[in-house]
Amino acid sequence: MKRTWFVLSVLLVLAVLLAACQPAATPAPTTVPTQPPAEPTKPVESTKAPEATQPAQPQEFVFGMLLVGPYNDHGWSEAHYNAGLYVEQKVPGAKMIYIDKVNSADRPGTTPEQLAEDLVSKGAKLVIFNSDDMKDGAEAFAKAHPEIIVIHASGDGAWKEGKNYRGLPNLGNVMGRMEYGKMIAGCAAALTTKTGQIGYLGPLINDETRRLAAATYLGARYCWSEYLGKDPAQLKFKVTWIGFWFNIPGVTSDPTQVADDFFNSGYDVVISGIDTTEALAEAKKFQGQGKEVRAIPYDYIGACKEGEEVCLGVPYFNWGPMYAKYVQEAIAGTWKPSWDWVGPDWNDINNPDTSHVGFVKGAALSADASAQLDKFISELAGGLNLWKGPLNFQDGTPFLKEGEVATDFQVWYLPQLLEGMEGQSVSQ
Amino acid sequence: MVRTSSRWTNFVFQLLAIVLALAFTSLVMVLAKANPLEAYRNIVVGSLGSINKFSDVLVAWVPLLLATSGLLVTYTAGLWNIGVEGQITLGAIFTTWALRVLQDSTLSPGLIIVIGFLSGALGGMLWASVVAFLRIYGGVNEIFGGLGMNFVATALTIWLIFGPWKRPGIGSMSGTEPFKETLWLPTFAGLRISPWSLVIGIIGIAVIYILLQGTYFGLKLKAVGRNRRAAFLLGIPTTQYMWAAFLLCGLFAGLAGAVQVLGVYHRLIPSISSGYGFLGMLVAMLINYQPAWAAPVAMFFAALNIGSIQLPIVMKLDSTLSGVLQGALVLAVLLMDGVRQRLLRRR
Amino acid sequence: MNVELINIHKWFGPVHANDGITLRIPSGVIQGLLGENGAGKSTLMKILSGFYQADEGEIRLDGKPVKIESPADAIRHGVGMLHQDPLDFPPMRVVDNLLIGHRGGLFPNRAEAIRAMQDLQARFGFNIDPYAYVDSLTVGERQQLEIMRLLWLGARVLILDEPTTGISANQKEKLFATLRALAEQGMTVIFVSHKLEEVEELCHRVAVLRQGKLVGEVEPPYRTEDLVKLMFGKVVLPEDKTHFDSKESLFRLENLSIEDYRLQIRNVNLTVHRGEVIGLAGMEGSGQRQFLQACAGIIRPVAGEIYLGEKRLTGRPYREFLEAGITYVPAARLEEGLIPGLTLTEHFVLAEPQNGFVVNRQKAEVLTTQRIADFSIKGVPSSTVESLSGGNQQRALLAMLRQPLSVILLEHPTRGLDIESTIWIWGKLKERCRQGTAIIFTSADLEEILHYSDRILVFFGGKVSQPIEATKTSVEELGQLIGGKGF
Repeated sequence: MKRTWFVLSVLLVLAVLLAACQPAATPAPTTVPTQPPAEPTKPVESTKAPEATQPAQPQEFVFGMLLVGPYNDHGWSEAHYNAGLYVEQKVPGAKMIYIDKVNSADRPGTTPEQLAEDLVSKGAKLVIFNSDDMKDGAEAFAKAHPEIIVIHASGDGAWKEGKNYRGLPNLGNVMGRMEYGKMIAGCAAALTTKTGQIGYLGPLINDETRRLAAATYLGARYCWSEYLGKDPAQLKFKVTWIGFWFNIPGVTSDPTQVADDFFNSGYDVVISGIDTTEALAEAKKFQGQGKEVRAIPYDYIGACKEGEEVCLGVPYFNWGPMYAKYVQEAIAGTWKPSWDWVGPDWNDINNPDTSHVGFVKGAALSADASAQLDKFISELAGGLNLWKGPLNFQDGTPFLKEGEVATDFQVWYLPQLLEGMEGQSVSQ
Repeated sequence: MVRTSSRWTNFVFQLLAIVLALAFTSLVMVLAKANPLEAYRNIVVGSLGSINKFSDVLVAWVPLLLATSGLLVTYTAGLWNIGVEGQITLGAIFTTWALRVLQDSTLSPGLIIVIGFLSGALGGMLWASVVAFLRIYGGVNEIFGGLGMNFVATALTIWLIFGPWKRPGIGSMSGTEPFKETLWLPTFAGLRISPWSLVIGIIGIAVIYILLQGTYFGLKLKAVGRNRRAAFLLGIPTTQYMWAAFLLCGLFAGLAGAVQVLGVYHRLIPSISSGYGFLGMLVAMLINYQPAWAAPVAMFFAALNIGSIQLPIVMKLDSTLSGVLQGALVLAVLLMDGVRQRLLRRR
Repeated sequence: MNVELINIHKWFGPVHANDGITLRIPSGVIQGLLGENGAGKSTLMKILSGFYQADEGEIRLDGKPVKIESPADAIRHGVGMLHQDPLDFPPMRVVDNLLIGHRGGLFPNRAEAIRAMQDLQARFGFNIDPYAYVDSLTVGERQQLEIMRLLWLGARVLILDEPTTGISANQKEKLFATLRALAEQGMTVIFVSHKLEEVEELCHRVAVLRQGKLVGEVEPPYRTEDLVKLMFGKVVLPEDKTHFDSKESLFRLENLSIEDYRLQIRNVNLTVHRGEVIGLAGMEGSGQRQFLQACAGIIRPVAGEIYLGEKRLTGRPYREFLEAGITYVPAARLEEGLIPGLTLTEHFVLAEPQNGFVVNRQKAEVLTTQRIADFSIKGVPSSTVESLSGGNQQRALLAMLRQPLSVILLEHPTRGLDIESTIWIWGKLKERCRQGTAIIFTSADLEEILHYSDRILVFFGGKVSQPIEATKTSVEELGQLIGGKGF
């Protein structure tokens, strides 16, 4: 029996360890400075909340959110999660329910539409699908549930002029004009790099990621040549795609490794295009070893927190105001499907109530660079458009003629990277 | 010597195992400051609470049952076909391949679906035959061979999805372009489960049950699994039987993959096997390789998987808790089996 | 070391395997433990050596009550047991097998183990290559290895359970000499056997068990009839000695040569007649096993021809031999002959020719019940083979032989069986001979070979003697040949 007790005690220890690895049960502390800390709801209490079948308060409105990554990923999904908290705070009666890690690797055997139905069965009247990868699921779900409002973030199914218009009466899209944020990030990188080499840690290759990488390059090239007066040909800008929005061991390339490779081969600024913060963590590590390197994370306003001393700043999404608008419209019954590609509020790109896209400067940005970056932002606010000819595609074919300005369609569906950028344009 | 272990004591020990597993899982939840009863209630409601939920359980049940059925064959032959994951994946790839080739042809959709299933079975068998070949002629243990082939299968899927079979213009983790709806397995109205996949799953386990319990093939396979040398001396062609076991398991795994493509995802996605191969191994271990129990226990596991989705929504608990419960259950059953044998030996 | 077993009880389910046994063994004594199969000898010894715990009773070593909870415990107390079925770790080298269980640091001292082993080998006249793999050893050699291991681990009480079954007469003499020497040095030796002559020859005192009870303790001089009476509760009649050799040629070997990595057998010529019994004598590992397996088609001869009647079988697959009616019955019952986990019914279904696709359970059940009755197997159709005793396993193996058969090749058919079972099994085998089946068998027991064979082949290091008429030779002559004289 001695052995049995041994096995039991091993099980006990295992239980403690597993419990320790259970981060979800205690709500993460809200790190967003612009929002008051959300009231942590005790899990047990939340289950006692009345279910949708018998709403206790007539004004309660439940909206659901499917997050592609963990709700606390310090990136894309956390930005959405915080937007949900913002809506709860701004719209009386609004209540968020969500499922995170909605992807086939983390939740094998499930589909987004199935999970969305779970949210509906818990009372959701509006469901936000937060990833481009959920496009099929969002559309299938919208078709099957015409009574539910579906917001597919980053999609184009509701864009009449777009390539994939579906014309569903209950499907809307929202996306931020992150191209501006990325241009600012590129500019900050160009103003900082000493080696003239900028690395771009890309996710998978699609229209969205191509145009964001290209925008970053445009911003970098502009500040490199206009503010520093250097030859654009001297600026190296390389994109390495890892294969997905975040690391999936064994499936994607390891972003940590990719960032390492950048820093080890002379790239002293790495701009992250993925949803998680490996680039920043690696930069911090290299800094600790005495190397002058910097990084720019992505997506989430608080992302710099993980490495203030190497962070040049972060371009981020602020989904809250748009989601609050949709929820308000849904409650009022005035919601109509639309395709919203929302830019920054140029009066104050960091206004939490008005600006959909913003850029927070990081501690590692020098005072000179900071001043020049402000100048760049004000130029953009003043109407500077970098999507303007002459511009060539990566393979040398012309994209925009001299003086020609790209349309939304051309930018959204950018088919290739631009001349001067290294890296794959299409996946092979 | 007379065996004293009766059906009844076995049952008591199995019950104890379930209690132990529940206790362990509850402990994990209590330590994570969650209410276990609430969690169990949510799992039950989330899996059996409505026709919709139950049909989702069935969607998971069919491929899991098919994988388990195949594994029962290899287990009987004394083989640990851990490569079943890869075999499911290859089944899915072959089905996708067949559909891609035929989707624009003039063949009727029904025929294309049938060809899809056959191709899936073929793909699974092909992958299994590699492991079998390594095991039988190369002396490579099927666990290592299987792990290797699983890895290759995953890499192949990713390559196909981001390479030759990528969606127009983009490569996306969401998989290949979905097939047109005529090529989807028809479902019950308003539900996700197809009567056809149910039929395949039930016929599958029935075939395995009869094969293993009633036929010479099953008995000889069991002999090969228990004592290969003695089986050989009795005149059983052990090599052929090992081949047959691998190929049969591959066939069933391939069908599971085909169901995933034709009935669930309607395209190839990166983790198309959904881990049903590994889960199937747990089921097979838990039922101690008795085919009669495969269907209900696989159902239970599928229900856990579906029901646990409620946990993050309602209780903000990670839904991998169902995995903890499943793992704890298998460990507890094995543990209790050991305890039972020790106690009975001492009596 | 003084060993006292006091009022030992042990149940296996409803079976009362040890029923209040009290036995005191002073040190320096070779204690015989006699009894037929299933009398409870092995159980009692397994209790002493920690494999089982007694349900009631006490064990005292040198007067001190001890609790022995595992074999490791036992060896710590100085009690070592040599098993009927040698327990070892086949895919290992001999020296590593020796090191297992040895107290010592993290890093085993191989050199020391080899030195100790060479020492012991010299004392016993054993000859085992320390770097050989254990699975390449014969059963006899494995037992030798086990004896050395226990001595090296510091056993002061040595329990030997049927130790002479696997080894040659020669090795037996060496073993007995060693046991006597050990006893003189104060070691307690417990010698478990059902062979009267061995016990009479070796033991200082004998205890007899029957049906779980200690039925008598005897000191020399022994009277065989008394011991037999104690063992069986009755007097056993010697069986008749009929021969069925028809002189009609059945199975022919021409210039057969067999090689494996340890030995070579060259140019064997033999014609076996219908109904004839050929005995293979020789030390364990002299080539008998290879010879039998070549005859069975399991290993392929490097040269020569095998004929069954006019049918040439040379180089054909094993299955064709089997279909031609040549069957091999291995010595290692649970390793090679039977399938643990399968029931008797399932074994008989497998042994019969396949009939259709679906097993007819009912028919199989009837057949099994019939066979169980015919072969007096103590078990039911749903008994798994590992739950049977050794003798019943052997009966089951024989019951699985198909009807009719041309040649039966048996390896140690009666090893570990008591006299009654041995006689009974040979009765069954002779029935086959009467039907015209030829039998070739190996045995370590020269008496058995002389008694049942028509002709005898003696093996020595791969060399094979000319066939010897059993009626024209004697134990002494065979003993000399086995020792290599006359080759």
